[in-house]
Amino acid sequence: MKIKVLSAAPEAMRLLIEETEPAYANALRRVLVADVPKMAIEDVEFHLGPIRAEDGKEYESVSPLFDEMIAHRLGLIPIPTDLGLYNRREGCPNCHGEGCPNCTIIYSVNKRGPGLVTSADLEPIGDAKLRPADQKIPIVKLGDGQAMLVYATAILGDGKDHAKWQSTHGVGYRYYPILKAGTKTLDALDPEVPFCESHMQSTATEEEETLELASDCKTCKKFMDLYKVESVKAGNDPTRIVMEFETDGSLSTKAVLVAALDILAKRFSETATQASALA
Amino acid sequence: MIIPVRCFTCGKVVGSAFPAFVEKTRQGENPAQVLDALGLKRYCCRRMILSHAELIDEVLPFG
Ligand SMILES: [Zn+2]
Ligand SMILES: [Zn+2]
Ligand SMILES: [Zn+2]
Repeated sequence: MKIKVLSAAPEAMRLLIEETEPAYANALRRVLVADVPKMAIEDVEFHLGPIRAEDGKEYESVSPLFDEMIAHRLGLIPIPTDLGLYNRREGCPNCHGEGCPNCTIIYSVNKRGPGLVTSADLEPIGDAKLRPADQKIPIVKLGDGQAMLVYATAILGDGKDHAKWQSTHGVGYRYYPILKAGTKTLDALDPEVPFCESHMQSTATEEEETLELASDCKTCKKFMDLYKVESVKAGNDPTRIVMEFETDGSLSTKAVLVAALDILAKRFSETATQASALA
Repeated sequence: MIIPVRCFTCGKVVGSAFPAFVEKTRQGENPAQVLDALGLKRYCCRRMILSHAELIDEVLPFG
Protein backbone atom coordinates (compact mmCIF):
# COMPACT_ATOMS: atom_id res chain seq x y z
CA MET A 1 0.00 0.00 0.00
CA LYS A 2 1.34 3.40 -1.02
CA ILE A 3 -0.15 6.70 0.09
CA LYS A 4 0.32 9.86 -1.94
CA VAL A 5 -1.12 13.16 -0.73
CA LEU A 6 -2.80 14.91 -3.68
CA SER A 7 -3.70 18.09 -1.82
CA ALA A 8 -3.51 19.06 1.83
CA ALA A 9 -4.91 22.08 3.63
CA PRO A 10 -5.10 22.33 7.45
CA GLU A 11 -8.78 21.31 7.31
CA ALA A 12 -9.16 19.23 4.14
CA MET A 13 -7.07 16.52 2.54
CA ARG A 14 -7.23 14.42 -0.61
CA LEU A 15 -5.02 11.39 -0.99
CA LEU A 16 -4.32 8.61 -3.42
CA ILE A 17 -3.84 5.09 -2.07
CA GLU A 18 -2.15 2.78 -4.58
CA GLU A 19 -1.55 -0.98 -4.69
CA THR A 20 -4.48 -1.49 -2.37
CA GLU A 21 -8.05 -2.76 -2.27
CA PRO A 22 -11.30 -1.29 -0.91
CA ALA A 23 -11.02 -3.18 2.43
CA TYR A 24 -7.88 -1.24 3.36
CA ALA A 25 -9.39 2.10 2.42
CA ASN A 26 -12.50 1.28 4.42
CA ALA A 27 -10.43 0.30 7.48
CA LEU A 28 -8.72 3.69 7.27
CA ARG A 29 -12.07 5.48 6.84
CA ARG A 30 -13.55 3.81 9.90
CA VAL A 31 -10.54 4.64 12.06
CA LEU A 32 -10.65 8.28 10.88
CA VAL A 33 -14.32 8.58 11.83
CA ALA A 34 -14.52 6.57 15.04
CA ASP A 35 -11.11 6.03 16.60
CA VAL A 36 -8.92 9.14 16.31
CA PRO A 37 -9.39 10.88 19.69
CA LYS A 38 -9.87 14.61 20.28
CA MET A 39 -10.80 16.94 23.12
CA ALA A 40 -14.42 18.04 23.64
CA ILE A 41 -16.38 19.57 26.50
CA GLU A 42 -18.01 16.83 28.57
CA ASP A 43 -18.95 18.33 31.95
CA VAL A 44 -20.64 21.72 32.32
CA GLU A 45 -21.41 23.37 35.63
CA PHE A 46 -23.91 26.26 35.67
CA HIS A 47 -23.99 28.97 38.28
CA LEU A 48 -27.57 29.24 39.53
CA GLY A 49 -29.19 32.23 41.23
CA PRO A 50 -28.38 35.92 40.87
CA ILE A 51 -25.08 37.12 39.37
CA ARG A 52 -23.80 40.46 40.64
CA ALA A 53 -21.68 42.50 38.22
CA GLU A 54 -18.75 44.76 39.24
CA ASP A 55 -20.96 47.83 38.76
CA GLY A 56 -23.42 46.48 41.34
CA LYS A 57 -26.14 45.56 38.84
CA GLU A 58 -27.81 42.25 39.51
CA TYR A 59 -28.43 39.74 36.73
CA GLU A 60 -30.50 36.59 36.67
CA SER A 61 -28.78 33.39 35.56
CA VAL A 62 -31.40 32.54 32.94
CA SER A 63 -31.31 32.26 29.16
CA PRO A 64 -33.77 31.39 26.38
CA LEU A 65 -32.31 27.88 26.02
CA PHE A 66 -32.40 25.08 28.59
CA ASP A 67 -29.08 24.49 30.38
CA GLU A 68 -28.95 21.02 28.78
CA MET A 69 -29.11 22.60 25.31
CA ILE A 70 -26.30 25.01 26.16
CA ALA A 71 -24.17 22.17 27.55
CA HIS A 72 -24.78 20.19 24.35
CA ARG A 73 -23.82 23.16 22.17
CA LEU A 74 -20.65 23.73 24.22
CA GLY A 75 -19.75 20.08 23.67
CA LEU A 76 -19.91 20.46 19.89
CA ILE A 77 -17.42 23.34 19.76
CA PRO A 78 -14.06 22.14 18.35
CA ILE A 79 -11.33 22.36 21.01
CA PRO A 80 -7.67 22.54 19.89
CA THR A 81 -6.08 19.18 20.67
CA ASP A 82 -2.44 18.14 20.98
CA LEU A 83 -2.53 14.35 20.75
CA GLY A 84 1.02 14.09 22.12
CA LEU A 85 0.04 15.92 25.30
CA TYR A 86 -3.34 14.60 26.40
CA ASN A 87 -4.28 11.27 27.96
CA ARG A 88 -7.72 9.84 28.51
CA ARG A 89 -8.91 10.94 31.95
CA GLU A 90 -9.75 7.45 33.22
CA GLY A 91 -6.28 6.17 32.33
CA CYS A 92 -4.25 9.29 33.10
CA PRO A 93 -0.93 8.30 34.73
CA ASN A 94 -0.57 11.71 36.46
CA CYS A 95 -3.87 11.98 38.27
CA HIS A 96 -5.60 8.58 37.96
CA GLY A 97 -8.87 10.14 36.83
CA GLU A 98 -8.93 13.15 39.17
CA GLY A 99 -8.32 15.63 36.35
CA CYS A 100 -5.02 17.41 35.62
CA PRO A 101 -3.50 19.55 32.82
CA ASN A 102 -2.57 16.36 30.91
CA CYS A 103 -6.11 15.06 30.65
CA THR A 104 -8.56 17.96 31.12
CA ILE A 105 -9.02 21.54 29.97
CA ILE A 106 -11.24 23.81 32.06
CA TYR A 107 -13.06 26.70 30.39
CA SER A 108 -15.18 29.45 31.87
CA VAL A 109 -17.91 31.51 30.25
CA ASN A 110 -18.80 34.69 32.05
CA LYS A 111 -21.13 36.81 29.98
CA ARG A 112 -23.82 39.37 30.76
CA GLY A 113 -26.69 40.24 28.45
CA PRO A 114 -27.94 41.64 26.24
CA GLY A 115 -25.90 40.03 23.52
CA LEU A 116 -24.79 36.88 21.75
CA VAL A 117 -22.60 34.40 23.62
CA THR A 118 -20.12 32.89 21.14
CA SER A 119 -17.23 30.45 21.21
CA ALA A 120 -14.96 33.49 21.69
CA ASP A 121 -16.36 33.81 25.23
CA LEU A 122 -14.90 30.40 26.18
CA GLU A 123 -11.92 31.38 28.34
CA PRO A 124 -9.45 28.56 28.95
CA ILE A 125 -8.06 28.43 32.48
CA GLY A 126 -4.34 28.28 31.73
CA ASP A 127 -2.86 28.37 28.23
CA ALA A 128 -4.42 30.95 25.85
CA LYS A 129 -3.56 28.59 22.93
CA LEU A 130 -6.49 26.43 24.06
CA ARG A 131 -9.05 28.99 22.88
CA PRO A 132 -11.39 27.49 20.24
CA ALA A 133 -9.98 28.13 16.76
CA ASP A 134 -13.42 29.08 15.44
CA GLN A 135 -14.36 32.18 17.45
CA LYS A 136 -17.71 32.87 15.77
CA ILE A 137 -19.93 29.93 16.76
CA PRO A 138 -23.13 31.23 18.43
CA ILE A 139 -23.89 29.44 21.72
CA VAL A 140 -26.92 31.31 23.05
CA LYS A 141 -28.39 34.80 23.05
CA LEU A 142 -28.94 36.66 26.33
CA GLY A 143 -31.56 39.31 26.96
CA ASP A 144 -31.35 42.40 29.17
CA GLY A 145 -30.77 41.40 32.81
CA GLN A 146 -29.80 37.84 31.85
CA ALA A 147 -26.31 36.47 32.49
CA MET A 148 -24.37 33.25 32.22
CA LEU A 149 -21.59 31.94 34.45
CA VAL A 150 -20.42 28.50 33.46
CA TYR A 151 -17.46 26.19 34.05
CA ALA A 152 -16.89 23.58 31.39
CA THR A 153 -14.44 20.66 31.41
CA ALA A 154 -13.09 19.17 28.18
CA ILE A 155 -11.70 15.63 28.08
CA LEU A 156 -10.30 13.29 25.45
CA GLY A 157 -12.73 10.89 23.78
CA ASP A 158 -13.45 9.25 20.43
CA GLY A 159 -16.20 9.22 17.84
CA LYS A 160 -17.54 5.84 18.98
CA ASP A 161 -18.91 7.47 22.14
CA HIS A 162 -20.29 10.75 20.79
CA ALA A 163 -20.13 12.76 17.56
CA LYS A 164 -18.56 15.65 19.47
CA TRP A 165 -15.38 13.52 19.70
CA GLN A 166 -15.37 12.76 15.98
CA SER A 167 -12.29 14.46 14.57
CA THR A 168 -13.13 14.11 10.85
CA HIS A 169 -16.16 14.48 8.63
CA GLY A 170 -16.93 14.04 4.96
CA VAL A 171 -14.66 10.99 4.87
CA GLY A 172 -15.16 9.19 1.59
CA TYR A 173 -13.32 7.32 -1.11
CA ARG A 174 -13.84 6.12 -4.65
CA TYR A 175 -11.95 4.11 -7.22
CA TYR A 176 -9.53 5.89 -9.47
CA PRO A 177 -11.56 6.49 -12.67
CA ILE A 178 -10.38 5.00 -15.94
CA LEU A 179 -11.24 7.32 -18.81
CA LYS A 180 -10.84 6.74 -22.55
CA ALA A 181 -11.75 9.11 -25.36
CA GLY A 182 -11.71 7.09 -28.58
CA THR A 183 -8.43 5.17 -28.37
CA LYS A 184 -6.75 7.71 -26.10
CA THR A 185 -6.42 6.90 -22.37
CA LEU A 186 -6.80 9.98 -20.16
CA ASP A 187 -5.96 10.73 -16.54
CA ALA A 188 -9.28 11.79 -14.99
CA LEU A 189 -7.58 13.64 -12.12
CA ASP A 190 -5.32 15.66 -14.41
CA PRO A 191 -6.54 19.28 -14.08
CA GLU A 192 -6.09 19.67 -17.87
CA VAL A 193 -8.75 17.02 -18.54
CA PRO A 194 -12.35 18.32 -18.22
CA PHE A 195 -13.65 15.39 -16.18
CA CYS A 196 -17.41 15.60 -15.47
CA GLU A 197 -18.32 13.99 -12.15
CA SER A 198 -21.99 13.78 -13.19
CA HIS A 199 -21.66 12.15 -16.62
CA MET A 200 -18.31 10.35 -16.77
CA GLN A 201 -18.54 8.18 -13.67
CA SER A 202 -19.17 4.50 -14.12
CA THR A 203 -20.01 1.82 -11.58
CA ALA A 204 -18.32 -0.87 -13.65
CA THR A 205 -15.25 -2.49 -12.13
CA GLU A 206 -14.76 -5.51 -14.40
CA GLU A 207 -14.70 -3.84 -17.79
CA GLU A 208 -15.27 -0.39 -19.16
CA GLU A 209 -18.65 1.03 -19.98
CA THR A 210 -19.47 3.39 -22.85
CA LEU A 211 -21.24 6.55 -21.65
CA GLU A 212 -22.96 9.09 -23.88
CA LEU A 213 -21.98 12.64 -22.98
CA ALA A 214 -24.51 15.40 -22.33
CA SER A 215 -24.05 18.26 -24.79
CA ASP A 216 -25.99 20.62 -22.49
CA CYS A 217 -23.44 20.08 -19.67
CA LYS A 218 -20.62 22.63 -19.58
CA THR A 219 -17.86 20.21 -18.60
CA CYS A 220 -19.01 17.49 -21.00
CA LYS A 221 -19.22 20.03 -23.85
CA LYS A 222 -15.64 21.11 -23.18
CA PHE A 223 -14.56 17.47 -23.21
CA MET A 224 -16.40 16.78 -26.48
CA ASP A 225 -14.82 19.78 -28.18
CA LEU A 226 -11.36 18.99 -26.87
CA TYR A 227 -11.26 15.33 -27.92
CA LYS A 228 -13.86 15.40 -30.77
CA VAL A 229 -15.94 12.58 -29.27
CA GLU A 230 -19.64 11.98 -28.47
CA SER A 231 -19.05 9.34 -25.78
CA VAL A 232 -16.39 8.12 -23.37
CA LYS A 233 -15.32 4.74 -22.12
CA ALA A 234 -15.37 4.83 -18.33
CA GLY A 235 -14.30 2.28 -15.77
CA ASN A 236 -12.76 1.98 -12.33
CA ASP A 237 -9.44 0.77 -11.00
CA PRO A 238 -10.05 -0.99 -7.64
CA THR A 239 -6.31 -1.10 -6.84
CA ARG A 240 -6.08 2.70 -6.73
CA ILE A 241 -8.34 4.64 -4.40
CA VAL A 242 -8.86 8.38 -4.06
CA MET A 243 -9.82 9.36 -0.53
CA GLU A 244 -11.00 12.69 0.89
CA PHE A 245 -11.64 13.94 4.40
CA GLU A 246 -12.01 17.12 6.44
CA THR A 247 -11.32 17.91 10.08
CA ASP A 248 -13.33 20.18 12.36
CA GLY A 249 -10.25 22.25 13.25
CA SER A 250 -9.43 20.46 16.52
CA LEU A 251 -6.59 18.65 14.79
CA SER A 252 -4.80 19.29 11.50
CA THR A 253 -5.48 16.87 8.63
CA LYS A 254 -1.88 15.68 8.86
CA ALA A 255 -2.12 14.94 12.59
CA VAL A 256 -5.39 13.05 12.06
CA LEU A 257 -3.99 10.92 9.24
CA VAL A 258 -0.80 10.07 11.15
CA ALA A 259 -2.81 9.19 14.27
CA ALA A 260 -5.22 7.01 12.24
CA LEU A 261 -2.39 5.08 10.57
CA ASP A 262 -0.68 4.61 13.96
CA ILE A 263 -3.88 3.18 15.44
CA LEU A 264 -4.29 0.78 12.49
CA ALA A 265 -0.65 -0.35 12.67
CA LYS A 266 -0.90 -0.94 16.42
CA ARG A 267 -4.13 -2.88 16.07
CA PHE A 268 -2.77 -5.16 13.33
CA SER A 269 0.48 -5.82 15.18
CA GLU A 270 -1.47 -6.75 18.31
CA THR A 271 -3.59 -9.17 16.28
CA ALA A 272 -0.46 -10.65 14.69
CA THR A 273 1.19 -11.14 18.10
CA GLN A 274 -1.89 -12.86 19.48
CA ALA A 275 -2.24 -15.03 16.38
CA SER A 276 1.37 -16.18 16.57
CA ALA A 277 0.92 -17.02 20.26
CA LEU A 278 -1.82 -19.49 19.30
CA ALA A 279 0.49 -21.90 17.48
CA MET B 1 -34.54 28.62 17.18
CA ILE B 2 -30.78 29.26 17.05
CA ILE B 3 -28.46 27.99 14.33
CA PRO B 4 -27.19 24.46 15.17
CA VAL B 5 -23.45 24.28 15.92
CA ARG B 6 -22.87 21.44 13.47
CA CYS B 7 -24.44 19.91 10.39
CA PHE B 8 -26.89 17.18 11.48
CA THR B 9 -25.67 14.83 8.77
CA CYS B 10 -21.91 15.13 8.44
CA GLY B 11 -20.84 17.03 11.56
CA LYS B 12 -19.13 19.99 9.93
CA VAL B 13 -19.29 23.18 12.02
CA VAL B 14 -21.92 25.41 10.38
CA GLY B 15 -22.83 27.72 13.30
CA SER B 16 -20.15 30.29 12.55
CA ALA B 17 -21.17 30.47 8.86
CA PHE B 18 -24.74 31.58 9.52
CA PRO B 19 -24.11 35.19 10.70
CA ALA B 20 -21.72 35.67 7.76
CA PHE B 21 -24.26 34.21 5.32
CA VAL B 22 -27.06 36.51 6.54
CA GLU B 23 -24.80 39.54 6.41
CA LYS B 24 -23.55 38.86 2.86
CA THR B 25 -26.89 37.89 1.32
CA ARG B 26 -28.50 41.01 2.82
CA GLN B 27 -25.95 43.01 0.89
CA GLY B 28 -27.25 41.37 -2.27
CA GLU B 29 -24.65 38.69 -2.88
CA ASN B 30 -25.67 35.45 -4.60
CA PRO B 31 -26.54 32.87 -1.88
CA ALA B 32 -24.97 29.97 -3.80
CA GLN B 33 -21.67 31.80 -4.14
CA VAL B 34 -21.72 32.87 -0.48
CA LEU B 35 -22.18 29.23 0.59
CA ASP B 36 -19.30 28.17 -1.70
CA ALA B 37 -17.07 30.88 -0.25
CA LEU B 38 -17.93 29.74 3.29
CA GLY B 39 -16.68 26.25 2.39
CA LEU B 40 -20.09 24.54 2.56
CA LYS B 41 -19.82 22.29 -0.48
CA ARG B 42 -22.01 19.33 0.57
CA TYR B 43 -25.76 19.79 0.31
CA CYS B 44 -26.30 18.52 3.86
CA CYS B 45 -24.35 21.51 5.23
CA ARG B 46 -25.90 23.97 2.77
CA ARG B 47 -29.44 23.06 3.83
CA MET B 48 -28.53 23.72 7.49
CA ILE B 49 -28.00 27.37 6.59
CA LEU B 50 -30.69 27.74 3.90
CA SER B 51 -33.54 26.16 5.86
CA HIS B 52 -32.80 27.79 9.20
CA ALA B 53 -35.41 30.05 10.85
CA GLU B 54 -33.75 32.28 13.44
CA LEU B 55 -36.40 32.54 16.17
CA ILE B 56 -34.22 33.04 19.25
CA ASP B 57 -35.27 36.71 19.46
CA GLU B 58 -38.93 35.66 19.77
CA VAL B 59 -38.32 33.58 22.91
CA LEU B 60 -35.67 35.89 24.42
CA PRO B 61 -38.16 37.79 26.65
CA PHE B 62 -39.49 34.53 28.14
CA GLY B 63 -36.13 33.26 29.47
ZN1 LIG C 1 -4.76 13.61 34.47
ZN1 LIG D 1 -21.40 16.42 -17.65
ZN1 LIG E 1 -23.01 18.44 6.26
